Amino acid sequence: MLPGRGPSGVVMFRRPGLVRRATPYAAIAAVLAISLATGASSLVVFPLFAIVVLSVALFDDREQLFAIGAASALAILVISVAQLGPTSNLATAVFEVTVLGVVGASVQEVVRHAREAEGSAEKKVGELESIDHRLRLTLEAATIGLGVAMTDGRWVEVNQRLAAMLGRSREDVMQAGLLDVMADTDRGIVGDALGKLARREIVRWESEVEQSARDGRRIPVALALAAISDSGSSEPLILVQEADISARKRLDAMRDTVVAVRQVIVTANSWDQAAPALLASLCTHLDWDAAQYWSVEGDRHALKLRSSWHKEASNVDGLDDPARNLSIEAGGGLVGRVWQSGVAAAMDDLAANDFEQASAERRAGLRAALAFPVVSAGATIGLVELLARGVKHTENDLLSMLSTTGVEIGQFIQRAETEQALRRSEADHRAIYEHSPIGIARVTSEGELLEGNRALLHMLEHDLDAMRSQAWPDLLRAYDHAAGRARLAPLLAGITDQRSVQIRAATGGGRWLWLQLTATSIPDATGRPEHVLVMVEDVTTVRETQDRLAEALDSQRSANATLEKLDRTKTEFLSIVSHEFRTALTGIQGFSELIRDGGLEADEVRAYGGYIFNDADRVNRLIGDMLDLDRMESGRMSIRVTDVDINEVMSDVMTRAGSSSAVVVEFKADLDPRLPIVAGDRDRLVQVLSNLVNNAVKYSPDGGTVTLSTRAEGAFALMSVTDTGLGIPPDEIGHVFERFRRVRSGAAQSIPGTGLGLTIVKQIVEMHGGKIWVESAVGHGSAFHFTIPLAKEHATPLQRRHA
Amino acid sequence: MVLVADDNEVAQRLCRRVLEKAGYSVLIASDGLQAVDLALAQNPNVILMDVAMPGMDGLEAMRRIKAERPEMRIVIASAHSMASDRERFLAAGADDVLSKPFRLGDLIDVVQKLTARPSA
Repeated sequence: MLPGRGPSGVVMFRRPGLVRRATPYAAIAAVLAISLATGASSLVVFPLFAIVVLSVALFDDREQLFAIGAASALAILVISVAQLGPTSNLATAVFEVTVLGVVGASVQEVVRHAREAEGSAEKKVGELESIDHRLRLTLEAATIGLGVAMTDGRWVEVNQRLAAMLGRSREDVMQAGLLDVMADTDRGIVGDALGKLARREIVRWESEVEQSARDGRRIPVALALAAISDSGSSEPLILVQEADISARKRLDAMRDTVVAVRQVIVTANSWDQAAPALLASLCTHLDWDAAQYWSVEGDRHALKLRSSWHKEASNVDGLDDPARNLSIEAGGGLVGRVWQSGVAAAMDDLAANDFEQASAERRAGLRAALAFPVVSAGATIGLVELLARGVKHTENDLLSMLSTTGVEIGQFIQRAETEQALRRSEADHRAIYEHSPIGIARVTSEGELLEGNRALLHMLEHDLDAMRSQAWPDLLRAYDHAAGRARLAPLLAGITDQRSVQIRAATGGGRWLWLQLTATSIPDATGRPEHVLVMVEDVTTVRETQDRLAEALDSQRSANATLEKLDRTKTEFLSIVSHEFRTALTGIQGFSELIRDGGLEADEVRAYGGYIFNDADRVNRLIGDMLDLDRMESGRMSIRVTDVDINEVMSDVMTRAGSSSAVVVEFKADLDPRLPIVAGDRDRLVQVLSNLVNNAVKYSPDGGTVTLSTRAEGAFALMSVTDTGLGIPPDEIGHVFERFRRVRSGAAQSIPGTGLGLTIVKQIVEMHGGKIWVESAVGHGSAFHFTIPLAKEHATPLQRRHA
Repeated sequence: MVLVADDNEVAQRLCRRVLEKAGYSVLIASDGLQAVDLALAQNPNVILMDVAMPGMDGLEAMRRIKAERPEMRIVIASAHSMASDRERFLAAGADDVLSKPFRLGDLIDVVQKLTARPSA
C-alpha cells in the first residue's frame, strides 16, 4: 500500500474558531433567557442544557466543556432561584447540575478517547506521507532501476533510472510492462518467475537477463524480483530491481574470450585445426554472428580467406568460404585497411560506410564488423574479422584486448608451424629410421642398445631381445677392438666420430658378415652426448669383392712387377749384349777394313788377322753362352742325369786346364776317395768345373795355386775350386753370378770373358738341385763351392767299393 | 795429339794404327783415371773416350777433364750405340759421338774436324 492518499474527510476536524467556541455560550444564554421569560421549570429546559453540554463534550476540548458545564449549572441555579420554592427546586437543580456534570464528563472522556485515537491516526498519516516522500526520493536516487509491478508484469511504478536503462521514457516503460522490455530469449523465464511469485511459491527471484532497448540493442541486466507482502490480498506486488551489467558483461566476455582463445590455442596442434574453434570462440564470447580468418599470403600482396565460421542460426549465405579463394588487397575494405594499418578497427554499422568489401557482408545481412591483425614477429601475418547481423557498438578496450589476442594467435601460429615442421621432420626421420636399408641402432653412451630398426634386426637375424642381450655387446667389443686398431675413439666411451670401422660378426643364423659401423654422437641440448647412433651396413659382398679384387690386384701387381723386371732385365741384357758384340766387332770391322784397304806389311796382316780371329771367336762363344743360358732359363734344356763319379770329372778337367793354360799355375787335387757317385749330367758338370777352373786360372795372372777338392756333405757332394788369384772386391762379390757382371777392376780389367760363364754355372748347378757360392778376399784369391746331390741307389755300393 | 782412352786392347791398337797413319801422335789410356791424368798432363787436341771402362768410366773422366779444361775436345767412342745413348753423351758435354764399330774414315773425319777448328 502506498501512503499519501489518505481520506479527504479528516480535514474538517481541523477547523477551530471563535464562532464555534462562542456558540454554546449563546445557546445557554438563549435557553436561560427563554426559561426566565416563560418561567419554565429547570426540568423543562434541562434537556436543552444537556444537548449543549453534550455537543461541547463531543466536539470541543475539556476547557470548553468545563466552561460550558459551569455556565449551564449556573443557568440552572439561576432559573431555580428565580422560581419559588427554592428548596425543592434547589434539590432539583443540584440533581440536574450533577447529572449534567456526570454526563458532560463521561461524554468528554469518551470524546477525549475518540480524540486521542483520532490524533494518533493523524500522526500516522503524516508519518506515512513522509515515508512516501523519502521512498520516492530514494527510488529516484537509486543507481539501479527500480519499479513495482503486478504479477502480470504491468507496472505500478518505475523509476527514471529503469526507464533510462531501456532508453525509453518512463511513460513508455509504464505502458510496455515488464515482460515487454525483456529480450525474446529471456521473456519466458521472467514470465515463469512472475507466475511463481504470484502463486507465492517463491518470494524472491534473481537472474541475469537481457532486455531489449528501444534501438534494438540488448542490454544485459541483473534482475531481482521480490514479492511485497500486502495485507493478505490474493496477489502480491512485485518489487523489481534492475542493474545494468553490460560493462561487467563486456569485461567478463573479454576475459572469457581471452581464456577461451588460450584454451583453443593450448589444445590445438595446428592453426588449421585451431582456426574454426578460435573463430567460433570469439563469436560466442563476444557475441558476433560470423568470423573469418584472412591470411597474408607469402608474396604479401593479397589476403586470402583461409577459414570462416558462423553461428548455426545465423543466415550468412553469401559470406565467402575459403574454397572460393577470395583475396583482398591491402587497404581494401575494413580488413584491408586493418591489414595496412596493423591496428584493430570496427565498424558499428556497415550501412553507414561505403567500403567495397562491405557490400558482401551487407548482402549477407551483416551490419557490424570488426577486424584485428594477427601479428607474428612484428609483422601482420593474418587478420581476424568478426561480423554481426545487427548494429554493434565496439568499445576501444575490446579492440585493445583483441589486438593482444592477435599477438597471442600470431605466436601460436608461429609455434604451431614450427612444431608442425618439427613433427614433419621427426616423422621423416622416423620413416627413414624405420625403412632405411641400413641398420640403425640407438645406443646409450654406455653402449646399451635402446632400439634397433628393422634392417638391423633383419641383417643380424636376431630379435630385439637377443640383440640387446648378446649380439650387440659382442658387436660393440668388436667395434672397439677395430676402432683401437684404427686409432679411433672407442664407442663405449661415448666419444665417437663419424669414421667407419669394419668388423666381422656372426648373425643369429650363423652366417658371418662383414659389417661397417659408423657411430655418431647425438648431443642433448647442453651439448653432452645424449646417445649414439650407430649405422650398421652389411658390406660382406663389398668386402669380399674387395678382398678378391685386392688379391687379384696383388697377383696382377706382382705379375706386372715380374714382367717389368723381366722386361727391364731383357732391355738391360740386350743393351749389354749389343755392347759386347759391338766391342768385339769394333776390332773385327776396323782391322778387316785395314786389311781390305791394303798397303800393309805381311806381319801386320797376320797380327790383325789374329785380332780378328780372337774377337770373332769371342763373338761365337758369346752367342753359344747366350743360347745355352736362354735354353736353361726357358727350361728347354734338360739335364740327362746319370751316375757320375765327380772325382773322375775333377781330375779330367784339371788335366785339360793344365795343358791349355798359358800361365804357370799349380794345380792341386784334394779329392775324397770315399765320395759316393753323384746324380748328374756329366757333360754339364764338366762345363761347370771347366768354367770355374778357367776363371781361377784367368784371375791368377801372376800364377798361383788352384786347388780342386771334393767331399761328401750329407746327401750332397761338395766340390770346391780355390785359387790364390786377384780375389773379388766385396762390393762385387754379390753380383758375380749375374750376367755380364765381370770383375773388371784393377788387374782384372783386361781379363777376357763373356760375362755369362758364372751365370751358366749357377744355372747348371741349380738344375741339378745343388747350390753354388763363393768366398773371396781381394789379393788372396777366391773359393767357389757347389753341391750336387748324391745318387741314392749307388751311394752304398760305391762306399763299399771304396772301402 | 790424340788421346785414346779405351780398356780394350784391340780397340787401342786399331785407333793407334789408324790415327798415327793419319799423322796424329797418339796417347793411350786404359781407364778413366788414367785418361784424366794424361789429358791434364799432355793437353791432347782431341780425346777419343770409351765409356764402359773399369774403375772410372768415360763419362766421369770427361766431366773431370771438362771441369779443368773446358776447351778440350772430347769424342765419346762407345759400343753403347742406341739413339738415346748419343743424346745422353752430348748432354754430358761430349763434342762429338762415335759409335763402335766405326768406319775408319769416320774416326779420322771426327778427329780432323775437331783438330781443324782452333781449340779454344
